[in-house]
Amino acid sequence: MNTQPDVIRKCVWPACLMGLFITGTLSLGCDLLHIHLRRVTWQNVKLLTNMSKSFPLECLRENKAFQLPREVLAYSQPLLHRDIKGAFYEMSMLAFNIFAQSTFQSTREEKHLEQIQTGLDQQLQYLEQCLKEEKGKKDKEEMEEDEKRHSGARTPQPSNLDLRRYFHRISSFLKDKQYSHCAWKIVQVEIRRCFYYFQTLIELLRRK
Amino acid sequence: MFALLGVVLVAGAPCVLPAAAGGTKLKPPQNVEVDIIDDTFTLRWARSREPAGNVTVSADYRMPRIVDNWTKLPGCQHVTSATCDFSSLKMHVYEEIKLRIRAEEGNSTSPWRELDTFIPFQQARIGPPKVHLEAEDKAIAINISPPGAKDSVMWQQENPQYSVIIWRNASGAQTWNETHHSRFPRIKIHKLVPETTYCVRVKARLLLHWNPAEFSPVHCVSTTVENELPAPENIQVILENDTYVLKWDYTHDNVTFEAQWLKSYLKRMPGSQSEKWAQVQGCERAPVARCAPPQDLFRKGIYFRVRASRGSSSSPWSQEEKFDAGRQVVIPPLIVALKPLSSRSLQVSIGFQDQTELQHSLTYEVRFWENASNAERKTFVEQRADFPVLSLKPRTVYCADAQALLEDGPRSQRSRPSNTACAATEAGGAPGALLVAGVAVMLVLCAALALGKLVHYVFFPAGKPPATIEEYFPEEPTKNLLLSTSVEQTEECFIVENVDAVSAKEVNHLDEDHRTYTSQASQDSGHYSIEDESGESGESGGSQAGEELGQRGAGAHSAGGRFA
Repeated sequence: MNTQPDVIRKCVWPACLMGLFITGTLSLGCDLLHIHLRRVTWQNVKLLTNMSKSFPLECLRENKAFQLPREVLAYSQPLLHRDIKGAFYEMSMLAFNIFAQSTFQSTREEKHLEQIQTGLDQQLQYLEQCLKEEKGKKDKEEMEEDEKRHSGARTPQPSNLDLRRYFHRISSFLKDKQYSHCAWKIVQVEIRRCFYYFQTLIELLRRK
Repeated sequence: MFALLGVVLVAGAPCVLPAAAGGTKLKPPQNVEVDIIDDTFTLRWARSREPAGNVTVSADYRMPRIVDNWTKLPGCQHVTSATCDFSSLKMHVYEEIKLRIRAEEGNSTSPWRELDTFIPFQQARIGPPKVHLEAEDKAIAINISPPGAKDSVMWQQENPQYSVIIWRNASGAQTWNETHHSRFPRIKIHKLVPETTYCVRVKARLLLHWNPAEFSPVHCVSTTVENELPAPENIQVILENDTYVLKWDYTHDNVTFEAQWLKSYLKRMPGSQSEKWAQVQGCERAPVARCAPPQDLFRKGIYFRVRASRGSSSSPWSQEEKFDAGRQVVIPPLIVALKPLSSRSLQVSIGFQDQTELQHSLTYEVRFWENASNAERKTFVEQRADFPVLSLKPRTVYCADAQALLEDGPRSQRSRPSNTACAATEAGGAPGALLVAGVAVMLVLCAALALGKLVHYVFFPAGKPPATIEEYFPEEPTKNLLLSTSVEQTEECFIVENVDAVSAKEVNHLDEDHRTYTSQASQDSGHYSIEDESGESGESGGSQAGEELGQRGAGAHSAGGRFA
């Protein structure tokens, strides 16, 4: 059993590196997004921290390293502002879907979970709006055109695939452990650390 | 190069021979395509020009990261048709997969044709979502189930968004259609006409990925007869004296209202979660078109809906109105800086801690005062973030702080007061006084340095003593003679004894002469430093000689004395 989870860091490495290679200019829309987003993300980190304060020691045995593949570190294509927001959106969405599978253990946990999901929903709303604004006011026709154009060259950012793989591992872990209490606790800690590092990404967004 | 050609020819040769013998070398299938839609994986190829015979096709797969050997592709072994379905393979949808395919006939096989590596998630098309319609009198509720099966692997982690096209299925000139984009699996389309048939097509899409999608089949439904009681309209949450109040419009009287609320994140979850509407306390049977729920309800992210009832009949639910307490415009904290411009003005600079540029235009209220007691505070209202303040007193300290107001927002929305910044105006004199002083100091230093060098050169020359002196002072030829305080060099004195013995007798006779001589001698060589007191008669001869010698020695001495 791997008792040294060094995952968390690796979860955010793609995010951090993407931040390091920012070359885009500050978008005109979503000006207040950073402020809201930072506030909301911090709230979520604090919520998750509160939840994972009572980590039962016996669950340490089942701890697992949800490692991200190291190839992500070599990803050096200069990324746009939009890509970072996109990655952040996908992270929030994937995390939301993980929490949507939860079964409540106690009323206090239920309350915490609701708060996290509300916070994540907020994050998603801001990001959706922002990404929509950045796309511009495209007509339906334009969007369909884009789809046809892009159908040949489908290239989502590789880091988003890594994000999906990572959350897929977490999801599989939960399923394998049959959503046990310990499994949930481990996942909470994992996602909290992921959020924390995405927070640093938001700081980079802010400085742009 | 020729060797390569040679190899190719040799390789080709055995192929030619069977052709000559009457069989055809099998070629692998052409135009091979992978078609993925949701979780269904299909391999398609073109049937080669058909020689009679049973040509079958088999395929292998390899996943570079997981399964590194070529493995038989399930569902695609010895296939006679032009497609095969390998959905039964436990697919890792985010991993690369490589396929290869070949034709077989009897015992002979074609060479493998390898397909390009692909990632299923990127290649997949989004299948049609499942649609369920519910009609009211002036609205239709559309329940959308995400594409793929329940245990779908492909879209398991996705939150697809939906495009809904609705049109009126009426023959005649009155065509009408609308497209709605929904982020949630449940969408209600309002403002429709009662007793009309509407048809709907739905397509799913992912926000940041360009997977092509297919429309669902057309679903049609007819709206019902117009309801006796219409749904309430224009639901608002307004702030009255620091209390949030729910208000709406209603045309009919004699009704009671019922309000419900829903946590907004539930709208994102597919399935029946979205039906968890809860009663709003204090609004279960409101007689008027407003109610005041408990304030703790108004957290961020909730939806409200209201309906009216009279007796046993009730109106349909109103449109859902979203309330988000966190959505108020937050003006980030201000930072104020003061810089002296001249002796009579200061520059005020207002910035934000976050360095963001606000889309909303702000007005700044800057309070400005002299840093003395009883100083009056002036308030400037400016739209600029950098502006000078003029007509000030020189060499005085002034302070300022600022607050920002939203131009086109509620006037009550202002930021917290910024920090207080203070700065002094410059002195009234020539601004270059410091510079002049600095230059003067520099000049003085230069002069002092030059003087020092001169002094050093004049009084402390670093010259070499002449060679003759070096004979006497061989050890330290470069010694500074003036400053030397070393021990006087002494010369050995040579005194001849015979002369002394002889002269001892004559001394008595020549005492008088000696005395005079001595006195003469002593007069002559007043420089004697050592032998002055040794003017005894017994040593007159000797002393004479000695004198001479002494003189010489003394001379030398004196010379030495002089120069010592």
